[in-house]
Amino acid sequence: MLGCSTERKLRLQIVSILPAGRAWELLYLLTLRDFKLRYQDTALGLLWSLLKPLALGAVLFVALRFFVRIQVDDYHLVLLTALFPWIWFQTAVLLSTPIFASNGPLLKMVAFPRYVLPFATILNNGIHFLLAIPILVILLLVSGQHPNATWLIGIPLLASLQLALLMGVILLIASVDVFFRDLEHLVEVVLTMMFYSTPILYPLDQVPDSWRPVLLINPMTSLIEAWRDLLMSNTLPGLDLWPALVFTLGALIVGFEVFRRLEPEFADAL
Amino acid sequence: MRSETTAAITVDQLSKHYYLRGHAQELKTALLSLPAMLFNRRGRQEFWALQDISFSMKRGEFLGIAGPNGSGKSTLLRVIAGISTPTSGTVTVSGRISTLLELGAGFHPRMNGRENALVNAVLLGLSLDEAREALPSIIEFSELGDFIEQPLRTYSSGMAVRLGFAVAVHVRPEILVIDEVLAVGDAEFQSKCFGHLERLRQDGVTVIIASHDLPSIQRYTDRAMLLDHGRIVLEGPPANVLHEYLTRIFGPGEKAEVKG
Repeated sequence: MLGCSTERKLRLQIVSILPAGRAWELLYLLTLRDFKLRYQDTALGLLWSLLKPLALGAVLFVALRFFVRIQVDDYHLVLLTALFPWIWFQTAVLLSTPIFASNGPLLKMVAFPRYVLPFATILNNGIHFLLAIPILVILLLVSGQHPNATWLIGIPLLASLQLALLMGVILLIASVDVFFRDLEHLVEVVLTMMFYSTPILYPLDQVPDSWRPVLLINPMTSLIEAWRDLLMSNTLPGLDLWPALVFTLGALIVGFEVFRRLEPEFADAL
Repeated sequence: MRSETTAAITVDQLSKHYYLRGHAQELKTALLSLPAMLFNRRGRQEFWALQDISFSMKRGEFLGIAGPNGSGKSTLLRVIAGISTPTSGTVTVSGRISTLLELGAGFHPRMNGRENALVNAVLLGLSLDEAREALPSIIEFSELGDFIEQPLRTYSSGMAVRLGFAVAVHVRPEILVIDEVLAVGDAEFQSKCFGHLERLRQDGVTVIIASHDLPSIQRYTDRAMLLDHGRIVLEGPPANVLHEYLTRIFGPGEKAEVKG
């Protein structure tokens, strides 16, 4: 009977207790902590963030270029300019899906803005992606292409969009995962399916016309294509990006609403 | 803000129930219960953890909560701290609240004591600048010495709780909520903690502590509360409440021991 109004009242109180900007400071601290911890005690450290995507890229290149004999110019660039942002997406989703469910003790014992947990993971993986961009620059220069000033607008634009997309999607699935742990396994399956159905291994113009609308349902299709256009041909994203924009907006609304409704139950469910 | 007339904590007719979830969550039941969880909460088995709890605390009051395991102590503290939501009734808290509900909640085993203390202080409510400023004092209070540079996984549980307590009291709360955690520290540190709580109380900090350490409750708190099966059984001067508690456990024969 009183449940709903009580919740709201309590939430307002919590918000008013928190000093302004603490959520941001917490986000900074947790992102920094994740960043430090990822390669702590490893000999190669940050180099792993370059080596892992490059190793995957190399084996995909050999298999598809020489064995399948895909006919695409500068195929290594076509592949890597899509693979790097994809790995950000995939790693962030994989690591964030169980982030509420696996932080039970913390969520049960401390009152703090919980959305900073997945946000920190997404940001941290975004930083690793940005740090890998110089490798792309070197490969582009070797192939006689020159990045230009459009990158300065394009990269923040696409990175923000991908950040927002990830935040919406992850708030939804990480919240539901607290009550329905199957989601972690489901997410793995869906990510593998998305890896092949997003134009990463092939550019979108290689896809038969009849299949293109199907691929465009996947919000990552237009986003990955936009990354490739920007990084390979210095083209700023245009209206083609609409599926990703619409999906991001929807994901943010649904994600925040589901999070808002389920969050009060986290402490009891874990 | 810190006026003497306003209560620090007012709990009014607070009740809280949990839904018991079946262990074998089948796909069908899980999927069917999801919309129910999102839109309404009917149709699941309930367990009342707290029933009709009402009390209020003045600023600077030191309240001890006793009661057997499963009596609702931790649930009550969690609801007061805003971590868990009440099913009905209201909790009104005025002032910055800090919690020490579990030793090292949020500590990361691979980070050193210093880094953990900083993150923990911000988690508990300090701003980053305040936390940086408080860090030397936190480290000194924890008495960890050179261990502060070692990763948390090398700490004993007593050392972790020292650091946890040091952070919690440095958050400069107006209200401090503590669950049974101090028991892990050694006797000397425990008495230091209670001594520090005593000083906080004199500074006007409101302290609420759930503990099985009955002698300490009797010695330090102004008021005690006995919980059983989610209800307040008795509330009043610590000596009376603890006497009643022990009487319930051991029968009337043990009176003398408590009073002494």
